[in-house]
Amino acid sequence: MAEESLTYQRIDQDVLKTLERPGKKYFILLGGVLAVFLVGLAAFINQVRMGLGMAGYTHPVMWAVYITDFVFWVGIAHCGTLISAILFLFRARFRRAVYRTSEAMTVFAVMTAGLFPLIHLGRIWNFYWLFPYPNQRQLWVNFKSPLIWDVFAVSTYFTVSATFFIVGLIPDIAVARDHAKNRFRKTLYTILSLGWRGTDQEWRHYYKAYLFFAALATPLVLSVHSVVSWDFAVSIVPGWHTTIFAPYFVAGAIFSGVGMVITLLIPLRKAFHLEKYITVEYHLDRLAKLVLLTSGIVTYAYGCEFFLSWYSGNPIEKEAFFNRAFGDFWWATWIMITCNCFIPPLLFIKKVRHNIKALFIISIFVNIGMWFERFVIIVISLSHEYIPYAWGSYKISPTEIAITAGSFAWFFLWFLLFVKLLPSVSMTEMKELVKPPKRMGQS
Amino acid sequence: MQVTRRDFMKILGATGAGVAATSCGAKLDKTPIEEIIPYVVPEEDVVPGIATYYSSVCRECPAGCGLVVRTREGRAVKLEGNPNHPINKGSLCVRGQAGLQGLYNPDRIKGPHRKNEVGEWVSITWEEAQGLLVEKLKEVLAQGERQRVSFLTGNISGNLDSLIDSWLKIFRSENRIVYEPFSYESMKKAGEIVFGVEAVPTFHIENSDFLLSFGADFMETWLSPVQYAKGFAEMHRPKKEGGQGRQMGKFVQVEPRRSMTGANADLWVSVKPGTEPFFALGVLNEALLHLWKKEGGDARKAMLRSWLSYQGITTPKVAELTGVEEMTIKTIGREFASAKRPLAIGSGVAGSGTNATATWVAAYLLTAITGSMGKTVDWGRVQNVDRLTPFTQVVSWVERLKKGEVDVLLVHQANPAYTLPKSAGFSEALKKVPFVVSFSSFWDETTTQAHLVLPDHHPLESFGDYSPQTGIHGLYQPTMRPIFKTQPMGDTLLSVAAAFPSNPFKEGRYLDYLKSSWSALYPKGGQNGSLESFWQESLRKGGYWQETHSKEVSISNRLFTFKVKEPVLEGDGEYRLVVYPSVKFYEGRGANKPWLQEIPDPVTKVVWNSYVEIHPEVAEKLEVRHGSVVELRLGESSLKGPVLLNPWIQKETIAIPLGQGHEEYGRYAQGRGFNPLSILPLQVETVSGGFAWTSSRVRMAPTGERVLLVKTSGSIDDRNRDIAGLVSFEDLKAGSVHREEEEIQDKLLYDESWRHEKGIRWAMAIDSSSCTGCSACVAACYAENNVPIVGEQECAKGREMAWIRIETYEEPSTKGTHPVNVPMMCQQCGNAPCESVCPVYATYHNYEGLNIQVYNRCVGTRYCSNNCPYKVRRFNWFAYKFPDTFNLQLNPDVTVRDKGVMEKCTFCIQRIREVKDHAKDEGRLPRDGEIVPACAQTCPTNAIVFGDLNDPNSKVSRLSRSERGYHAIESINTKTAVTYLKKVHNGLRTA
Repeated sequence: MAEESLTYQRIDQDVLKTLERPGKKYFILLGGVLAVFLVGLAAFINQVRMGLGMAGYTHPVMWAVYITDFVFWVGIAHCGTLISAILFLFRARFRRAVYRTSEAMTVFAVMTAGLFPLIHLGRIWNFYWLFPYPNQRQLWVNFKSPLIWDVFAVSTYFTVSATFFIVGLIPDIAVARDHAKNRFRKTLYTILSLGWRGTDQEWRHYYKAYLFFAALATPLVLSVHSVVSWDFAVSIVPGWHTTIFAPYFVAGAIFSGVGMVITLLIPLRKAFHLEKYITVEYHLDRLAKLVLLTSGIVTYAYGCEFFLSWYSGNPIEKEAFFNRAFGDFWWATWIMITCNCFIPPLLFIKKVRHNIKALFIISIFVNIGMWFERFVIIVISLSHEYIPYAWGSYKISPTEIAITAGSFAWFFLWFLLFVKLLPSVSMTEMKELVKPPKRMGQS
Repeated sequence: MQVTRRDFMKILGATGAGVAATSCGAKLDKTPIEEIIPYVVPEEDVVPGIATYYSSVCRECPAGCGLVVRTREGRAVKLEGNPNHPINKGSLCVRGQAGLQGLYNPDRIKGPHRKNEVGEWVSITWEEAQGLLVEKLKEVLAQGERQRVSFLTGNISGNLDSLIDSWLKIFRSENRIVYEPFSYESMKKAGEIVFGVEAVPTFHIENSDFLLSFGADFMETWLSPVQYAKGFAEMHRPKKEGGQGRQMGKFVQVEPRRSMTGANADLWVSVKPGTEPFFALGVLNEALLHLWKKEGGDARKAMLRSWLSYQGITTPKVAELTGVEEMTIKTIGREFASAKRPLAIGSGVAGSGTNATATWVAAYLLTAITGSMGKTVDWGRVQNVDRLTPFTQVVSWVERLKKGEVDVLLVHQANPAYTLPKSAGFSEALKKVPFVVSFSSFWDETTTQAHLVLPDHHPLESFGDYSPQTGIHGLYQPTMRPIFKTQPMGDTLLSVAAAFPSNPFKEGRYLDYLKSSWSALYPKGGQNGSLESFWQESLRKGGYWQETHSKEVSISNRLFTFKVKEPVLEGDGEYRLVVYPSVKFYEGRGANKPWLQEIPDPVTKVVWNSYVEIHPEVAEKLEVRHGSVVELRLGESSLKGPVLLNPWIQKETIAIPLGQGHEEYGRYAQGRGFNPLSILPLQVETVSGGFAWTSSRVRMAPTGERVLLVKTSGSIDDRNRDIAGLVSFEDLKAGSVHREEEEIQDKLLYDESWRHEKGIRWAMAIDSSSCTGCSACVAACYAENNVPIVGEQECAKGREMAWIRIETYEEPSTKGTHPVNVPMMCQQCGNAPCESVCPVYATYHNYEGLNIQVYNRCVGTRYCSNNCPYKVRRFNWFAYKFPDTFNLQLNPDVTVRDKGVMEKCTFCIQRIREVKDHAKDEGRLPRDGEIVPACAQTCPTNAIVFGDLNDPNSKVSRLSRSERGYHAIESINTKTAVTYLKKVHNGLRTA
């Protein structure tokens, strides 16, 4: 294995090299991302000023792209914690090289996701009414509403995953601190490393804390997306009201999250020459297998939904699912099925799995497919509810496109800053894979 | 500062007492709140926060319904029907409800205007304006020729009418034209032919048990739609009568395109356009045959039969001509003849071909031979249409204008530049008149071509009277101060007359003229009390109604010389063009009212546009679909418009609604849709001389373009979801209709019975059988609840804000499908899905069973709407504006919602509150029927009933227990407060 030839020093050097002063390309990329973000921001400000009518909402379809984006980004956010926490507990060695990136992705994805419930509010300036805080009007929130559960689920998840991320970074940041030449970096790393010296006791506490955090984060992986799924499942909308939603959403989230991790890792390892650390045959292969597994679960869930709508004998459910497959938005459904059910099984073939280009393309398809999955569930179900007279349609508006693109820009903005400011591969954990160094001359 | 312990205790004590006192005050809150009122000296009757009601007359169409105008702080905010008025008995139609938007229209002419040399409008003072008119009239008078001054008005009966006639005499002219686009001339003529009475009688539809209509749209625009819709509802109600079991009338409508009226028929017969007279005669033939068999022959029947054979009427021939099965004609004839009090009525505007008089002749004969003429038709109470100038005279008058025979033309309440067919050349004629004066309130097509505009008050701002039928004298009064610098036309005419030595008027003001003329009614009334008290009483009641005596009529001999002619058709195209009046716009006068534009047409559900209705098979042949633009061509003229597919239209027929395509007439009407009058030929009905609306054959060709044509309806099939219900009268009579209630066992953690079982539960019962789809309730809701309008583009996204909509579903019946109207508003569910999902309790359940929406608390997650199975919640996508002066109409009792909040039907909670407060003052509970939401109030057929469901004796709870009752989508256990009653279909036997 690649790690065999590595030494502690080499790891430090290679990883710290990623933090060196970025080149022109980086700044061009950063500038581009910033520009897109600003366009999204402008669209958002205009939407607040004019009203939510700037989005493409129609009468029956009162949730659309913003909630699709929300669920998409929450889903993306799942993989990081899965890799860093659950796989840590399971002692899956392949996670060591990729967990830092995926964890960062998690934090940024939650930061992106958290924006959408606010963006979609009719009166965003009153968003704090969604929090239960004591007030002179004695108004309280409705704990029966899944939207309140959401507020708690997402904010808890963000807090825990951000803390977990920062805690995991401590020893690495200490290394960076020790090598930092730049004053800004020195100060930043000094603060973030919390005075880490690498003593035996510190290491012991560190590992304890890490284990506890992993244990704490693990149920959250399952709970957050379950709660998000209940946003839909507890309603009575045909196509939403189903008990399968929690596991189905969690699997889908992991599916999309792993897809996104692959999408991010492949360019990253190339840009920073981390091929030695993140290998195709080992790391990406394992991730690809995870995609394969979750794709299977998602496919099963789709099948289940269609089967049950038929088996239930409920004409309204039947109609809703018939409309999903063959109605106005049939294309969205078939994009979803193609991307999530038909393309990922190609990964069964080892050659495909080990072909970096193929893997990258498939991961993009997974991202597209999973975005459309949420679009299908939200928009198609809403457009075709109980009252046939009120059936409607939906067309995406430029504002929604700008804000969605802006959200991707926001996410990549953070990610680009991350790769240059923080070590994107864990030196600590990589070193664990390497044989400890011995004093020269000893046999 | 040194604070000793003692000081500290003092301060503490004082502060504590202060706080306690303040909080006590807040809790008790018995101190009256100071009201701020903008009047320095309060006007009489004005109490802030309390509505004042004035009686008035609706002038939106010639029907002349009575109004009660609700005013708040000196502004009219709502129009309601006058419950004591003999015509409308408390109800209004959609146009009547929208009358306020004429009063407050931002496009009203705000003062007198003169056209200057370069053709621009210049605002002038009233003195200048009147001076100008006097000057012109003096010039004309100086020339010494007669008939040089012409006065054109709409149908204004009453005293203004006589004033104009006397006024014209000053200028030695009798050149008076009373012009209404819908003038019922064939009807008048048929009366003369059959009975020797040239008049339009009143029909007692409520007395009949079998109504046969050959295309009269009597629930939409025809004569007196509210009156006749009411009559129809009474006749078509399954009722128990004197131990004979249930009775219910039948209604058959015969027309080439299914109108809103036709959609309410038990049997809708589709005939080829223009063949209605033959169909009517065919039915007459069959009915005679049946009566002959039943009662035996007599001389009159024999004469009629020979007359029919002289017309060449045989059932197979009629069947072939009209495209209707022989069996259907026979069945209708037989059932008509065997009914107790049958009534046949002839064609409306849409059926006015060149032989329309024949339809009426047959209709009158049908009613006459069955002996129910006296019971169902009242010849003693006739419509005021006898004042109207015959269409042929209007046309020759236009010719005279063209020849320059008129020097001064005054126009009031008429817009011939729009309502006369282009082929009449009115606009060109108008250019030949040196001085045109318009009294219009709007810059309509005629007014923009005038030289002087002297805007009249809106009827709600002025005194006046209107007499739509014999013995019905409506009186109206100013309900508020005029908004703009307008002047009543009567006053203008009187002060102009004062400048001439031959002034015949004693009075300087129209009010005095009106009062003195009104006193002429007084002796007839034979009441006690002074003249002044009679006047006051009439003002209070909204008029004075006299008893009339029905008049016997008999078939005159003139009939037997009458010969039915084949229809004359202009053009050589393959499609017959049917032009029909719009229930919303009448002939076009409603088009500047945005409520009417935004309320969907009851039949096509189209908003803000007009369209070319064609049969789907024709569309397939032409390869066009919804919204594809086609070009219609008739001779030299042509028009373009988007296609609307209508399965209920004859295949060789095209139908176009009137009302759109204004070139002028304000921001809401201008440049919208097209006006079919621009291609109609100047054809007249051969016997009566009335305008033949349906007399052309046009060519139709697709243009390849496609435009937005917004329909607010989704699917018209309710997919067996228990949204619409239909039962047959046979089943109802046999007692085989049962309440199908799904027993759903609630297993709830908490006792939630308070939500729907305890205390008051406000509820509605809506009878689909009575609902005609007229949409008056929708307009009433717009007016009452400050519902904004959003425009065509937003409607295309389903963003219209109406709190109530009329859903029309085609329900399967014995023969094909049958349309059922379901007025859909918030169902105020007992188990409301919206309530549990709101994160901030902006929507919650109150202790009277209402589902409350708190606008101030709403943050706009819209989850409530997603979870609403009835899709009745509306979201404020933008901050919708009420442009000046529409904002003056806003109901002060209802919040105007800002952007980002959800809203929905509240069951008019402000009205509930008002009545409850009033009842509380009197120390009692609200009485059943005391609270009437706006929709229920205006419903011409009383299809909506409101009350307390938990009171077993209330009307609503009695209706809710009906065997026809059901809840919409009952299976999802929402426990709705609205109970719908299934529509009853009284089909013809074997038809």
